[in-house]
Amino acid sequence: MQQAIKYSEEELILLLKKQDTSAFSYLYDNYSAAIFGVITRMVEEHHLAEDILQEAFVKIWNNFNQYDSSKGRLFTWMINLTRNLTIDTLRSKGFKKQQKISQDEKSVINYQDGGFNTAKFDTIGLRKQLAILKPEQQIVIELAYFNGYTQEEIAKEIGIPIGTVKTRIRSAILELRKLM
Amino acid sequence: MEVQEIISSGILETYVLGLTSAEDTARVQVWIKQYPEVAAEINEIEEAMEKLAMAQAVEPNAAVKSKILNSISIKPDTSVKENNTKIYSISPVWKWVAAASIILLLGSVIFNYVYYNKYQTVNYENALTRQQLQNQDSQLAQLNSQLDMLNHNMSVVQSKYSEPVSLHGMDVAPNAAAKIFWMKNTGEVYLDPSNLPDAPAGKQYQLWAIVDGKPEDAGMIVKTKKGEQYQIQKMKSFGNAQAFAVTLETEGGNPTPKGAMYVMGKM
Repeated sequence: MQQAIKYSEEELILLLKKQDTSAFSYLYDNYSAAIFGVITRMVEEHHLAEDILQEAFVKIWNNFNQYDSSKGRLFTWMINLTRNLTIDTLRSKGFKKQQKISQDEKSVINYQDGGFNTAKFDTIGLRKQLAILKPEQQIVIELAYFNGYTQEEIAKEIGIPIGTVKTRIRSAILELRKLM
Repeated sequence: MEVQEIISSGILETYVLGLTSAEDTARVQVWIKQYPEVAAEINEIEEAMEKLAMAQAVEPNAAVKSKILNSISIKPDTSVKENNTKIYSISPVWKWVAAASIILLLGSVIFNYVYYNKYQTVNYENALTRQQLQNQDSQLAQLNSQLDMLNHNMSVVQSKYSEPVSLHGMDVAPNAAAKIFWMKNTGEVYLDPSNLPDAPAGKQYQLWAIVDGKPEDAGMIVKTKKGEQYQIQKMKSFGNAQAFAVTLETEGGNPTPKGAMYVMGKM
């Protein structure tokens, strides 16, 4: 625990570009739980989720020179790297997208019927946040953020134009921004 | 495209979520540099998503961190990576496994060496014991046969029907002696020749019974096979005889006595 040291994001990035291991340790202490939360939302199996977390952080360390702060925040880069890694891992392990879709179809119906049940989900924290959203906003965040769907796939899945997918994601995130 | 139009289109949110095409991604990156409002909007979207993730954080197992730090600390440095040199590192777990298996192997070699030696010693001792046992067995068999013989001799001597007759030494061998045990009930004749001198080579003692004044052949006196000793031996049977005598004859004996008389005794 290095509670005495607190890096700004700029300092942290600078040190990580120089492959500073104590900065990396700090990065892990501050962001691993948030990143792991997203992984566990995407992967049911706990050991696999930990393996992915480990692989993600090793990848963050090894590829840190590819991070460009002018393109976005450090966390955005890390979480997108992690989400892509998780989706690739799940697909390589034979988790078929079709199965995911059929499950999601059920949840779409639930959303549309207004029969959304928070008790079904184990990640209560996230659920509390997302429960604020309208069902049609929840489903786009669900598919885009946690299931790795492309905009086209979301459009096809819900049966709306791509432009509407974008605006629906925007309105969902705007709701979350008000909340934060 | 107007800045407000860009912001309200939702393209910035999809950019943050990593959902934009390569083309749209490039466009957004140009807008970030071009319009401070776009950069600010993206930053707010990112912060919101970051807070969302923080709000649903799940603490991973503490072991994961040490695994990660282990695997990055043995990675090659950047200069080596730029040369595209592949370095295969061995995970610490396998190092322990290798060390453990070497220790086990050494342990097994020592164990085998010690126990092979012990096995050899025991094997040798076992052979020795078996040899001793065999020796004792043959000694015992020898003693048994001697005991049988003694028992037989004793039965002759102790029989209530046996009548002993002492044969005394003649002039050729005054110290010589022999003993006859004549069984009154059966007429069997036993001779104890143990006090006769050794017969010279080519010669053999012969017992004679004097019946009605004439010597009759009563059999050749033999030495036992083992020990080359004279033992009490059964001779030919006689219903009655007045005397017994032993002469030294040529090997195999003669129908009538030709050699010198060594001992003689009357009934």
